[in-house]
Amino acid sequence: MAKNSHHVVPAPKGGWNVVKGGAERASKHFDNKKDAEKWGKEISKSQGTEFYVHRRDGTIERKASHGSDPHPPRDRDTHK
Amino acid sequence: MPSEIPEDFDKNIFINCPFDSGYWPLLRPLLFTIIYLGFNPKIGMERSDSGELRINKICEFIRISKYSIHDLSRLQSRKKREFYRMNMPFELGIEYGCRRFSSNHLSEKRCLILEKSRHDYAKALSDLSGVDIKSHSNDPPKLILAVRSWFVETVGLRGVDSPTRIVYQFMNFMSDFHEKRTSAGFSDQDLEEMPVPEFMHFIQEWLQHQN
Repeated sequence: MAKNSHHVVPAPKGGWNVVKGGAERASKHFDNKKDAEKWGKEISKSQGTEFYVHRRDGTIERKASHGSDPHPPRDRDTHK
Repeated sequence: MPSEIPEDFDKNIFINCPFDSGYWPLLRPLLFTIIYLGFNPKIGMERSDSGELRINKICEFIRISKYSIHDLSRLQSRKKREFYRMNMPFELGIEYGCRRFSSNHLSEKRCLILEKSRHDYAKALSDLSGVDIKSHSNDPPKLILAVRSWFVETVGLRGVDSPTRIVYQFMNFMSDFHEKRTSAGFSDQDLEEMPVPEFMHFIQEWLQHQN
């Protein structure tokens, strides 16, 4: 996971954590996902990072780019 | 049955689980945890030679694997006229018989039985009463916790990363997997329907880059 990213991930024993990419510990724990998303989005915006919201199975539910996207879409026009 | 110990016997883990897409949310973290901890999952979806009988493939995986994980959480028929699914208890029976009636290395086989709730299995498979099983509540992080605990308790692994670290690493892998594959032209549906060997290859490749 790129270090310039923040993730909303399921906490192993319930609830949701906001984790910075590459970190071993959660930045903050929340009982519900909505609150985790709200806080995570703010911190991601303020630090200019990529923001990922995971489902409990790890798949990506939503992504927002607040920094330079390390994997831009292929159809992006780069010849302008 | 041959008594020669197969190569990687101590590292192979036969996976006995449903093959439908509804199980993918649990299969992905299961495969990740096994590979993360240095073992080789052996799963029916690993190869699809139309000339090979499925039961022969299953028996071969049981023969070459010291360990096995059996997820019985999807046995129950959920809709009217849906059949009870018997492949998984049948394969667990082969595994049990192989261990029970062997006097060679196969008698050292060890298994993990997973269920949704702790006592569900006893309702359908009362022969297993008293057997130690683990439940995952259909929750992917809880499945990682259950499998990691089994590796420590039964397989005897020591110095294993914490459950939280493994869950975070799985999430790390999934976001990298999504980014790299979508930027390589994979659609969400392509990712959903990715063949198991291809998905396992990406896990192995990702873990190699982490080390």
